[in-house]
Amino acid sequence: MLGQGFVSAAAIAASVLFILSLGGLSNQEKAKRAVWYGIVGMAVAVFFTALGPGIGGYWWLIPMMIIGAGIGTYMAGKVEMTEMPQLVAALHSFVGLAAVFVAWSADLERRRVLAARAADGVMQEFSAFAALVATKAPDELTFLQIEVVLGIFIGAVTFTGSVIAFGKLAGKVDGKPRQLPGGHLLNAGAAVLSLLLAVLYLNGAGFWTLIVLAALAFFIGYHLIMGIGGADMPVVVSMLNSYSGWAAAAIGFTLGNDLLIVTGALVGSSGAILSYIMCKAMNRNFVNVILGGFGGSTGPAAEIEGEQVAIDAGGVASALNDADSVVIVPGYGMAVAQAQSAVSDLVRKLRAAGKNVRFGIHPVAGRLPGHMNVLLAEAKVPYDIVLEMDEINDDFTSTDVVIVIGSNDIVNPAAEEDPNSPIAGMPVLKVWEAKQVFICKRGQGTGYSGIENPLFFKENSRMFYGDARDSLNALLPLVD
Amino acid sequence: MRIGAPKETSRGEARVALTPESAKQIQKLGHECLIETGAGLAAGFNDDTYRDAGVTVVDSADALWQDAEVVIKVREPSDSEAARLREGQTLIAFFWPAQNEALLEKCKAQGASVIAMDMVPRISRAQKMDALSSMANIAGYRAVIEAGNNFGRFFTGQVTAAGKVPPAKVLVIGAGVAGLAAIGTATSLGAVVRAFDVRPEVSEQIESMGAEFLFLDFADSEDSQDGSESGGYASPSSPEFREKQLACFREQAPDVDIVITTALIPGRPAPKLWLEDMVAAMKPGSVIIDLAAEKGGNCDLTQPDERVVSDNGVIVVGYTDFPSRMATQSSLLYATNIRHMLTDLTPEKDGVINHNMDDDVIRGATVTHQNEVTFPPPPPKVKAIAAAKPKKKEKEPTPEEKKTTEAAAFKAQTKRQVGILAIGGALMLLLGQVAPASFMQHFIVFVLACFIGFQVIWKVSHSLHTPLMAVTNAISGIIILGAILQIGSGSAVVSVLAAISVLIATINIVGGFLVTRRMLAMFQKS
Repeated sequence: MLGQGFVSAAAIAASVLFILSLGGLSNQEKAKRAVWYGIVGMAVAVFFTALGPGIGGYWWLIPMMIIGAGIGTYMAGKVEMTEMPQLVAALHSFVGLAAVFVAWSADLERRRVLAARAADGVMQEFSAFAALVATKAPDELTFLQIEVVLGIFIGAVTFTGSVIAFGKLAGKVDGKPRQLPGGHLLNAGAAVLSLLLAVLYLNGAGFWTLIVLAALAFFIGYHLIMGIGGADMPVVVSMLNSYSGWAAAAIGFTLGNDLLIVTGALVGSSGAILSYIMCKAMNRNFVNVILGGFGGSTGPAAEIEGEQVAIDAGGVASALNDADSVVIVPGYGMAVAQAQSAVSDLVRKLRAAGKNVRFGIHPVAGRLPGHMNVLLAEAKVPYDIVLEMDEINDDFTSTDVVIVIGSNDIVNPAAEEDPNSPIAGMPVLKVWEAKQVFICKRGQGTGYSGIENPLFFKENSRMFYGDARDSLNALLPLVD
Repeated sequence: MRIGAPKETSRGEARVALTPESAKQIQKLGHECLIETGAGLAAGFNDDTYRDAGVTVVDSADALWQDAEVVIKVREPSDSEAARLREGQTLIAFFWPAQNEALLEKCKAQGASVIAMDMVPRISRAQKMDALSSMANIAGYRAVIEAGNNFGRFFTGQVTAAGKVPPAKVLVIGAGVAGLAAIGTATSLGAVVRAFDVRPEVSEQIESMGAEFLFLDFADSEDSQDGSESGGYASPSSPEFREKQLACFREQAPDVDIVITTALIPGRPAPKLWLEDMVAAMKPGSVIIDLAAEKGGNCDLTQPDERVVSDNGVIVVGYTDFPSRMATQSSLLYATNIRHMLTDLTPEKDGVINHNMDDDVIRGATVTHQNEVTFPPPPPKVKAIAAAKPKKKEKEPTPEEKKTTEAAAFKAQTKRQVGILAIGGALMLLLGQVAPASFMQHFIVFVLACFIGFQVIWKVSHSLHTPLMAVTNAISGIIILGAILQIGSGSAVVSVLAAISVLIATINIVGGFLVTRRMLAMFQKS
């Protein structure tokens, strides 16, 4: 058994390693090292905590960890890169559920200690966490109760929220916003009820309050995320990421463990910043996204004149052969069609012909922050030609050909030109400033947000209809 | 249907309405193509290439007019040609119906349908058959080439061992299709190009071609007309505006080397924009290319179809046949325009012409049909250009204004920050009053960790957001510590709950880290 000093030292080391791990993600090369910092940090934290004073229960602990590691390895190895959003959402739900369990246990231990105290007034030998609780003064126990409530509530919302987000991203639950009659009033009601239960619990009501509290929070998580459309999932996933962090921090307070607090706070703020970035990229308010759906539009959208002109692979190929600079703007449609490797082949061919080929990535393209980057990386597209919106937006005027693959709202000029559009003011990729734009799209129709896209009607736009992967594969032999 | 292209009869016309390439496409529509022998010779297409493309070469104009059910031409028909038209025959050509009323009457009397390529409405759908634009494009290009031919210096600036060469300065007046083409050609030759147009909304197009827009500071915005209302064409301007404009040109005259004028107003003589005194102010050897010469010219000295030299050695070129001077190119484009018109006339691709008078484009271009004059057409249902939204130019703030607004913003920010800090401090104080000391210690750690988190995460690059989520996700599996601390509890329930927590937290940790590694391994530099 190691002494408390070892455990504390390990906690400090792990905290530093975690911070280095997150900080290292500032560029692709450092990131590879950064993951190792994270892994080592986690190993140190788990190992020294497990060997710390008064832990025990190894007959439970070790088999569980081995099984868990096995499942985790299997999942990580099997997952397709297009399924990343689902996986992340699913993993969040585990953290949420674990937080609920740990908080419940904490309260059970508290009750056990109190019961023992009341029974004989003599300190009996407790093991593990109960021993820590036994040393707490009454006011500390009250705070412990508050922390337990927070841990359960946040953990439970994270759990069901993530499960629904997983279902929506995996296509197992309908992606459309859907709410029970009563809408957000139901959520508000459940929240008020939870507060009442918390007060009851703090005033000494039984363990049942915590179970009902968790049930209410489960409902809120479920109902809140059901009301959010699939296109807003990047925000939802990063918000849930944040929640899972806060839940861990709350548990850290409960258990008096600084490492949990630090890590929880790091994760919590990371998720919060990501949500903020995503919201800004859609020019929407966080509350507006979470409370669901687009607000009513402020007036009739400007009428679109002109027609969508289709083009075949031959036409696109000849334009590409003539072009010097090409920008490709991928969106969720590319992920759906699994077209990333076809895109990569095309890029390789064009680059071999000496053309300047780059990618323009909108921050909310895909269903997860940075989703497109990962897909392109999987297809072996070098990351130094994959640029952010701000880096490439001024270059469109000097671009010969833009190929838009399966994205819609993020290239919608209405965001800039039509103040009545529901997405007015959202920063978009100004693809229409290029000499020619080809839009690779399954068919006529609006995007996820249901907004008509004037880009398709512009004079320099041509529609390249068909499944993205098939279209690109048809295009490949024609490009030289 | 048999589509026939006769040889152009008007003097100096080298273009032809049918090329071997367009003939192949027209045949795909189910039509049969005829051409008069030698019709394409001046444009660089001999009879054999036509034969190779499946076109029947006809020996004489008479036979062709007899045989063809649809006659395609470049210029409007001469009187003798008009006399050959017969009932039910269709003629597609430039026609200028407003200027050629007698001819129009004659064609009507002959019972032929006439589609005037110059009357194709300017809407997006009809762009592919907008022959005026394609010809203007060529004229603009050729104008620059012609100017270069007459100009004694380089276009591009160079520093050579034999001395420095300044770039030529080109002024383009009127930024229609021809003007824009001229701007593009001149900039790509390396000249410094300035351009002017009465429609301020084209400034963007001018700048996109690489020229500088000469902006007239004209207060009366009522006068700067909305181009969309006149179908994308310029309209006459008020006398005050004109004065301002001439003053601007007078200022430019001594400076520029080449002037290309393309200003035309539909249905009116060309406005005089480059006056005698401006020509006199120009340097000797300067060149003026007047693309409006056919309508009287924008320059005082212009003689249609002539190259004249002013007293001070300025060359004024007033050719009116620029497209015909590039007959191969213009024939190719014109034939494609015609081919698109035929495509619209043959919607079923079965070789049957369906003269659909409900179609905006066909209706607009048809000037006689079924023994009736159908000119002028009703306004098209679709507007030429989407109604332009008024764009307010924002005034550049002066440095002082900038400073004051910056200072105000800074002040507001400071106020807000101090306010937040004060509120936060007060809250902490309150919390400190009620919370036990051990809690406050943990709380300090929490707040500091949040700060570090915010600082660190802002630096994460956008492209790594997905790995970031996976890593934070793995790290948030730290909740396993909570479970480890509880698993050795004496209570069975607690032990079971903790064991489940350990299991799922481990899945999270291992899965999260492994998947991140997988992702990061994929990021490669080129």
